[in-house]
Amino acid sequence: MTPILTITGLKKRFGDRELLNIDEFSLEPAHSYVLAGPNGAGKTTLLRILSGLETCEIASASFLGKPVSLSPYPRMLRNEIVYVHQHPVMFSSSIAENIGYGLRSRGVPKAEFKALVEESMQWAGVEHLRGHKPNTLSGGEKQRVALARARVLKPKVLLLDEPTSSLDGAAKEQVIELIPSLAREGCSVLIASHDADLINLSGSTRLVLRNGRIESL
Amino acid sequence: MEISAAIREAFVLLFTGDAELWRIIWVSIKTSIISLLIASPFAILAGYLMASFRFPGRKILIWLTQVSLSFPTVLIGLMLYLLLSRQGPLGSFHWLFSQKGIIAGQVLIGLPVLVAFTLACVQAADPRLAETSVTLGASRFRVMMTVLKEVRFGVMAAIINGFGRILSEVGCALMVGGNIARETRTITTAIALETSKGEFAQGIALGILLIAVALVINGVLMLIQGEAHTSGVAL
Repeated sequence: MTPILTITGLKKRFGDRELLNIDEFSLEPAHSYVLAGPNGAGKTTLLRILSGLETCEIASASFLGKPVSLSPYPRMLRNEIVYVHQHPVMFSSSIAENIGYGLRSRGVPKAEFKALVEESMQWAGVEHLRGHKPNTLSGGEKQRVALARARVLKPKVLLLDEPTSSLDGAAKEQVIELIPSLAREGCSVLIASHDADLINLSGSTRLVLRNGRIESL
Repeated sequence: MEISAAIREAFVLLFTGDAELWRIIWVSIKTSIISLLIASPFAILAGYLMASFRFPGRKILIWLTQVSLSFPTVLIGLMLYLLLSRQGPLGSFHWLFSQKGIIAGQVLIGLPVLVAFTLACVQAADPRLAETSVTLGASRFRVMMTVLKEVRFGVMAAIINGFGRILSEVGCALMVGGNIARETRTITTAIALETSKGEFAQGIALGILLIAVALVINGVLMLIQGEAHTSGVAL
């Protein structure tokens, strides 16, 4: 099967320090990956590079077998790869408008917009938050709204940065329960995390970022 | 004249509906609002771009913006006078001693305030706002509109401060406008004139009106800001 995304010869330096030096790395379609590693190993930086928020040196990259550039980051990748921050930020509009933000950028018609947002709200279990102001949401609710906001775009690749880092108990479980369904829907999910519950997520491939290189666990 | 007598006479002037007085107020409000409407879009765009992007000369531009905050308005008036005078490079516009000249000066006076405040509030905005917008596929224009919407209270503060500087300036309006009765006489230039003639009542009346105009317009801007004034911690 053709990988969704393949990168070779990726290097990232901050001054004299070489943070990432990845020979080859690829993501298979409809599969989840958990990327572990110590603090400062470069997990977030890698996710940000893959989502076009950081630049890097790279030998080559391909998306669905076709060569692409990561710097400058093409519009096509922007539509297919979505990144969710460790602590997602909400826009000061309604919850539905937050979830549909990317749909508006894509010019999705009004009727379809409502249906897609509604479906994604139900998927994330946040339909009861409809009337809430985004700044009143808890960390777990924000994370689920952010997941719904990314998932509604049906991206081929979803990059989740420590999605459970500030959550505990039920809030964490609710977020973890959503992740396998993303892969089942055909999305390739790359999660950067320290969380043992996520690292042991069934059906996912466990990777570790150590000394700038990605290794299988 | 005693201060108390001057104030009493000022209120009489205000409440007898002196036509000359209302003409002065109208010129002040009209020129200030037009110049604010002209300056704001450019300044907000410039402030956003300077805060969001790295480009050659950016630091110099920020430095110049901050320096121009402390330019005396009379100096801006002098430069504009030289530009707009008959022999000046913009003399063919015939804007000297006209409301257009006053508006040009007020735009130049308001721009740095608006740019500096917008720059500061966009720089202080959470960088995840723009990043989230970008990663959800927004165009550059939509990213800008999203960020500006999120920092709207700061942008409104920029507009309020810009308006305050424009409305209260006197040096430039005096030099470029010429303080011509019923044409280019603004509240501040009229205060200067009346005070120099010893007409303190007229000066105080105009001063009260200047404060009233500032209160009303800032009140309207606060209403537009809405929730910014209802948030905060109850003490």
